[in-house]
Amino acid sequence: MADSKYITLISSNGFEFVVLREAALVSPTIKGMLRGGFKEAQTGVCEFPEISAHVLEKVVDYFHYWYRNRDKENVPDMKIPVEMCLELLMAASYFNLENMPVARPLQ
Amino acid sequence: MTISLIRFRSRPSRQQRRIMGPQSALTDFLASHNISAHQIRLDADARRRAAQEGQGEQNNENNESNDPASAATPTTTPAVSGNPAPAARGRRATAASRNEEEARNKEKNAIEKIKASKKFQKRKRHVDSDDEDDLARALLQSSAPLPGQQENCENCGKRFTVTAYSRNGPKGGLLCSPCSKELDKNDAAARKKKPKRATGGAVGVRRQLQSSILDGTYTLGAKSLMTLCIETLAKNIDLAEDLGDLPSPIIDKIARKLSKLRLLDSRTLSLFLQPTAEEVQIYDGAKLNSDDYIRIFQVVPGLKKLKVRNAIHFKDTVMDYLISRNIELEDLYLHGANLISEARWTEYLQKKGRFLRSLRVYFTDKHFGDSVLALLPRTCPSLNRLKVCHNQEVTGAGVAAIAKIPTLRHLSLDLRNDVHSDVYVDLLGKIGTHLQTLSLTRVRDADNTVLDALHAHCRSLVKLRITESELMTDAGFARLFRGWANPGLEFVDLQKCRQLDSAHPRENPDGIGLCSDGFRALMAHSGRTLRELNVHGCRHIERVAFEDVFNVNNNNNNNVADSGETVYEALAKLEISFCEEITDYVVGSVFRCCPNLRELNVFGCMKVRDVRVPRGKILVGVPNARGMVIEGDDDEVRQ
Repeated sequence: MADSKYITLISSNGFEFVVLREAALVSPTIKGMLRGGFKEAQTGVCEFPEISAHVLEKVVDYFHYWYRNRDKENVPDMKIPVEMCLELLMAASYFNLENMPVARPLQ
Repeated sequence: MTISLIRFRSRPSRQQRRIMGPQSALTDFLASHNISAHQIRLDADARRRAAQEGQGEQNNENNESNDPASAATPTTTPAVSGNPAPAARGRRATAASRNEEEARNKEKNAIEKIKASKKFQKRKRHVDSDDEDDLARALLQSSAPLPGQQENCENCGKRFTVTAYSRNGPKGGLLCSPCSKELDKNDAAARKKKPKRATGGAVGVRRQLQSSILDGTYTLGAKSLMTLCIETLAKNIDLAEDLGDLPSPIIDKIARKLSKLRLLDSRTLSLFLQPTAEEVQIYDGAKLNSDDYIRIFQVVPGLKKLKVRNAIHFKDTVMDYLISRNIELEDLYLHGANLISEARWTEYLQKKGRFLRSLRVYFTDKHFGDSVLALLPRTCPSLNRLKVCHNQEVTGAGVAAIAKIPTLRHLSLDLRNDVHSDVYVDLLGKIGTHLQTLSLTRVRDADNTVLDALHAHCRSLVKLRITESELMTDAGFARLFRGWANPGLEFVDLQKCRQLDSAHPRENPDGIGLCSDGFRALMAHSGRTLRELNVHGCRHIERVAFEDVFNVNNNNNNNVADSGETVYEALAKLEISFCEEITDYVVGSVFRCCPNLRELNVFGCMKVRDVRVPRGKILVGVPNARGMVIEGDDDEVRQ
């Protein structure tokens, strides 16, 4: 489980999202949870009791959107529903999605 | 009937209002503008009744016009020409004639109104009629039935109920909803075509890309979720009523974005004023008025840091308010606040100066001068940072006063008056030891004595800027950096320190400006620590010097350890524009020697032609047809 390609994110109301590990690692918060000897690192399951399903769904959307476009130029912007804007902003701050890591570090 | 009408007219509307019970806010508002909702409703009812009557008349020809109800028609709807009761007797007759006159007046007014309306102007263009009055009357007669009535559709002839949303047809009649939808569709199609033409395909994308590179916001891959959210929010800021309890760094980001879009005004300002905040940063205050600035202090009583750019209306009244309140600002940043008088600056510093740790004043021309600076040593005992930018009033006397502030750590001056080098030398002698930042922009008259003073006194400098000096020489710079006891600098900006002689532009016999030796000495002293270096326009630095500094041993290309190349780990941004000797080879060497370089500017380096740029790095200003930016796609360069 610990070294699976996928991890599971659980929202406040119990919805589970199975996400590509590499995509989810864009978030330093999740990266930190999956490192070291935490429970999350062993089980590959992260619970977010503060985040509701519809916000987490959008965040997971973003993870994959970022992963798909990580090497591309001129990436079209992802649509953010206006009514969720502030909630997503809070979530973005929680997941530390502020400064994106450099797409591919130089060898 | 007329009597009832007259009574109806003469009844004072105020009395009416007084009888009524509790009113809505809208009613109150309308009342304050002398509009009575009750009156409007009565008028509308009367009009509707009259219109119904008129319709009944049309349907039933036998209905005689002496019907008392129809007599009301001319008074309430000017559309039907005045046709009063035929029985003209005594008092009633006079009333009727007065009535008729009134109706005619009303019609005249209505025609005037129609003439002024947009609809009329549009129609006039179509019809091209000379007689405006006739046209207006025709419009008046065909004036649309009120909502709630039945009407035949102009297009398909079907009978339908008129609503407030019913559309006008091309001939002026009303359309039923299926026909209006058809019209809407055509309109939408016409509207859609336009923006498509406006945003041009590949060129628009490339322009956007280059714009973001120059903004320094360019990144490979997707934007961060936060950026996406903030952009969406800024686009829809008129929908936001409250930002909730977002963390202040995010609020700051939103504020920046909004200011960039010039959306910060009285309304949106409230979103950023949180009563518990200690910091308010306004990046574009151009649309705010004095009351808005006062509101900042009212809403945020615990304010410690205030930053306002384009603070045009930050004037004496605002200063008075700030002085009169119990607000202890530690950090004040004002840009363009030209309406604050010298007296207010003086009063502010005397009353509140003791709390100030940082004072930054940008773009003032008259009232922030030597006498204000002279107050600082006495009134601001804990002043740590002082920045006076683009100031036309401060002279050497003011700078001399700054030398008496022993707590100062960061000093930036960008003055319009020339100040003699001796003043700077004196200043560095007094407070130079602890200075961490020294920024002297546009100091034409500063000479080597300033550099020598830096060498002698400064021991904790991190950031150094001396620009546009026409007297400092290469030997002076070399003396400064050779054996300087100050640890390595992180930020150096020596742009445009060069010899200026239009008669002999190439020759520089006296070695004026930053040339080869100075540059070598600079990199030897600070190369390891430098994060940002700007030698823009230092055009007498030779190619050899660049090659020495960014030294790559070509023979051992495949073995980095043996090649003995100098590595500048920290350097992230390098500006070498208008250094004429820069070649492709030098640029390539720079990329090799600076592994963490993000951006290299080479405007005006005409010998740079075709460089391979490593991936993720930005080269700006290449003189070729591809535009000015190359974003590298070459992965192999560092092997």
